[in-house]
Amino acid sequence: MTQSEASVELIPADAYPPLLPMPLRAEALLTLRSAETLASANSIIALRSASLREAVHELIRQMRSAGRTASWISVYAAAHEIRGLAGTAGLSATGRIANGFCHYLDAVARQRIEPELDVVKLHLDAIARSARTEADTARHGDAVARELSELVARKLSEINESETH
Amino acid sequence: MQRSRTALSAMPESAFAYLKVLVVEDNPHMRALLRSLLLALGIRQVVEAENGQQALSLLRENQPDLILTDLSMRPMDGIEFVREIRNSESTVNPYIPIIMVTGHTERHHVEAARDAGVTEVLAKPITAQNLFQRIGEVVERPRAYVRCDKFFGPDRRRHRREDYAGPFRRRDDYETDDDNSGEESS
Repeated sequence: MTQSEASVELIPADAYPPLLPMPLRAEALLTLRSAETLASANSIIALRSASLREAVHELIRQMRSAGRTASWISVYAAAHEIRGLAGTAGLSATGRIANGFCHYLDAVARQRIEPELDVVKLHLDAIARSARTEADTARHGDAVARELSELVARKLSEINESETH
Repeated sequence: MQRSRTALSAMPESAFAYLKVLVVEDNPHMRALLRSLLLALGIRQVVEAENGQQALSLLRENQPDLILTDLSMRPMDGIEFVREIRNSESTVNPYIPIIMVTGHTERHHVEAARDAGVTEVLAKPITAQNLFQRIGEVVERPRAYVRCDKFFGPDRRRHRREDYAGPFRRRDDYETDDDNSGEESS
């Protein structure tokens, strides 16, 4: 037996108490997979979407304000919250744009370089606009999200290339 | 934390009714949403904390059965919180299932969560379907745990591939006849 084999202990799942005892598992899985439970949960999300959107709009205000002073950590923090909430609030394009923006800001921060102001401005404007024009989100927002996602992919590739040289 | 038979026989309509869940999330909207979605499953005992530090202080007195935690929080984030639960000598239950609910979908964040010992990762934006699917994983497939010098947490190998050619580094790779192969996943 090698040293690495001896130092690894595998503890089987039946060695500790499960989340639910066996007799309840089947019933729990039925609940989790039932159309009725899902519909009830989705209606809860729908009921909360107005307050979630309010929260997203407030975060956008905070993000733009942080952007004006180039406080990138605060911009990232707000964009991160937006990507987490927007999709559940029904603002899927806003969430996707914020997600790409976070990936970009995360990559430049890890490389300790400043973000390009044009890239930042494009994202800040697109996030604000897509969240405002809810009715058009599906049509215009999706197209903008796609284009910005391509831009982020290009930028990430440039950053990765500079990392390898 | 297994409940007594008496508690089970007196159990109301949902299989989840006697579970206690700890939700650790700094965003009040997300906390409220998670609580409501858990309630839709019949989970009535939900304890909330705004960060890892607060959650640790709630753990002992509440002894939850399942934890849903965010990653980015201050003063203690989700990664440090999970490490404390898995590795601290004073931990209440190192085997507790932990679902990390996070918008941090960058690879290095997901790897950090895995290395800290989370059971499942759920990417935001959350949907009811995704949340229920992750809880279902925890219910249906309790994970084996691995303890070694630098890690204690759920076994990352969820599947065993028939055609896996090695390397075989664990004792159980040799001890089981029917499970003769392994694969690093997640």
